[in-house]
Amino acid sequence: MNDQVNEDIEIASTSIVKQAARDFATALAETPQFKAFELAAYAFHNDQAAQKAMQALQQKQQSLRPLMQLNALSNTQREELLNLQSAFTSQTVVQEYFTAQAELTTLCQALGDELSGAIGLNYAAACAASCCG
Amino acid sequence: MESTLSPTMQEATDALISNLLASEAFVRYQQSQTLLDHDSQAQTLLNQLSQTQTDLRKKQAESNLSKDEIDSLRALQTQARENDVIQGYADAQQDVIKFLREINDEINQLLGIDFASFTKRSGCC
Repeated sequence: MNDQVNEDIEIASTSIVKQAARDFATALAETPQFKAFELAAYAFHNDQAAQKAMQALQQKQQSLRPLMQLNALSNTQREELLNLQSAFTSQTVVQEYFTAQAELTTLCQALGDELSGAIGLNYAAACAASCCG
Repeated sequence: MESTLSPTMQEATDALISNLLASEAFVRYQQSQTLLDHDSQAQTLLNQLSQTQTDLRKKQAESNLSKDEIDSLRALQTQARENDVIQGYADAQQDVIKFLREINDEINQLLGIDFASFTKRSGCC
């Protein structure tokens, strides 16, 4: 039944759709938002002080997670965590990375909205392997 | 920074959309959706199933769920699974999602990021 209907419809082959996807990615890679993100990500990943501050924060968060979930941190622990957060987020390279990430996210969300609206499916949810599956 | 698309980005987005919609997976998905929308028996069954699920969820929260009610839900679920139009739609939807993930992988390979996760708005679930 479907095959009969398909006779009247011009089908785009998978290779054509994949080429359109690559063209789309190339256009996105050329945007100021993506270029700024790439530069900021490179700077962030190669900044030893920022990486050390991130690791220190992550280790502390991990060790305190059970207490955080129970909302049972002592004042000293809370202060220690806030100090590590501040040491991480106050670094210029980190702030620039977060700003670039936020700007790229805004652009990608606009693109995702356009794709989702046109195809009638939530693009992010359809492609997600996790909760929204 | 505003998110207005540049002409090049808009053109590439439009081309991707039109090619996606013309792909076999999407054409079959749209056909199955049209069939489902116009099949009154399938619509009635889906409405019954949805209503029963809502009712039973409420009763479950109140710990007031009987075995007969669970059996009636299972019977409706079986009917839905055995309905060709509903099953055809469900299969086509699975195929289209699989295809969309392939396309997203193609984009990711070139960008080095997971594009779909950047398109996500908070609280999508």
